[in-house]
Amino acid sequence: MADPARVLVTDDSAMARRWCRHVLEGAGFVVEEALNGIEALEKVLAAPFDLILVDVNMPRMDGMTFLRTLRRQSLPQGGIPALVASTEGGEQDRAAARAAGANFYLVKPLTEEVLLAHVAALTGRLA
Amino acid sequence: MTDARPVSAATEEEFERLCEFLYRRTGLAFTTAKRYYVDRRMADRMAATGSRSFAAYFAALRADVGGEVEQLVNSLTVNETYFYREEHQLRCLSSSLLGPLAAGKRLGEPIRIWSMPCSTGEEPYSIAIWLLENWPEVDRHEIEILGSDIDSSALAAAAEGRYGTRALSRLPPAVVARYFECTADGEWRIVEGLRESIQLGQANLVNSEDVARHGRFDVIFCRNLLIYFDDASRRLAVENLYDALRPGGYICLGHAESMSRISALFEVCRFDDAIVYRRPGGKSHG
Repeated sequence: MADPARVLVTDDSAMARRWCRHVLEGAGFVVEEALNGIEALEKVLAAPFDLILVDVNMPRMDGMTFLRTLRRQSLPQGGIPALVASTEGGEQDRAAARAAGANFYLVKPLTEEVLLAHVAALTGRLA
Repeated sequence: MTDARPVSAATEEEFERLCEFLYRRTGLAFTTAKRYYVDRRMADRMAATGSRSFAAYFAALRADVGGEVEQLVNSLTVNETYFYREEHQLRCLSSSLLGPLAAGKRLGEPIRIWSMPCSTGEEPYSIAIWLLENWPEVDRHEIEILGSDIDSSALAAAAEGRYGTRALSRLPPAVVARYFECTADGEWRIVEGLRESIQLGQANLVNSEDVARHGRFDVIFCRNLLIYFDDASRRLAVENLYDALRPGGYICLGHAESMSRISALFEVCRFDDAIVYRRPGGKSHG
């Protein structure tokens, strides 16, 4: 039995982080939180993660900049699967997220089913 | 055994009760989208326990007679199929089989691949995805992939192309992102373009007319089906498979199966990734 997958939830909204933690921990995933892109980078470089869930609009460093920065690193962490979640659902936003290195683009508000399906598929781990 | 699989007599309401029961007892969530799959396993368990009706079986299940909850759950989970199952054969297909087969084709002549039995579609879609991802020549050739099964409800599920996350566990994230869409209820649906790229058609492998109807193929995947036949049906099935292959075409069996023990019609081909069987003749030599 593999260890539970570790997910980094990056969002400046405490409510959003709390909801993600509740859903993911309830399904057996290990959750860590970051409040913005800078914090997320620091955490990703300090400890291994199986997946990053990242909001787009955040102070200090937004989600797209964080992803582009992460993907540019020639480090093992550079390839961690990433789910981008945003309130914007336009095709341009999706294309920008793909270009920044997102594996999936989700439009908020998220549902438990959709979040879990993506996290499970991207980590290869069934909760 | 070869003509019909037992079908459970559960009504929709009974099916929901069963799902609710399983969920409460095990946490395994089965929805109506999985009905075909659950029905088949439940029918096997009803036969094994000698239950004559759903009500009788459900009563035995609730009372856990003979550890039936575990038996049912095992049958529902252990044999569930998934994408990229027996990946080594898919690798063999792209790295060893298709090159020489394609070289022997006239311009515009399709390479034909048959997934038989295809059950709910994981195998034919896996073949399509694997080739799109791993065969550099994929755009230069016409490829036809046909999925067949004796069971029309399995084919209907294959056409629908909806799967639980469990079925995707072997796929790299980038592949999931390219070929699947998440539905509102957290299932994964094959993208429309890919759904339309494979053909589906019913066939019974022991019925030679049924098999001949679909024409001849360059590669046949027939995994874990022959083991369910008795000797007489197996011989018939293998003759039909032989006829359905073009000379020089290949057949891939399940990893525990061996054609050599069944028939001398085929040559054994040992490639780096897999052992496959070849109908003698034709231009390509494995």
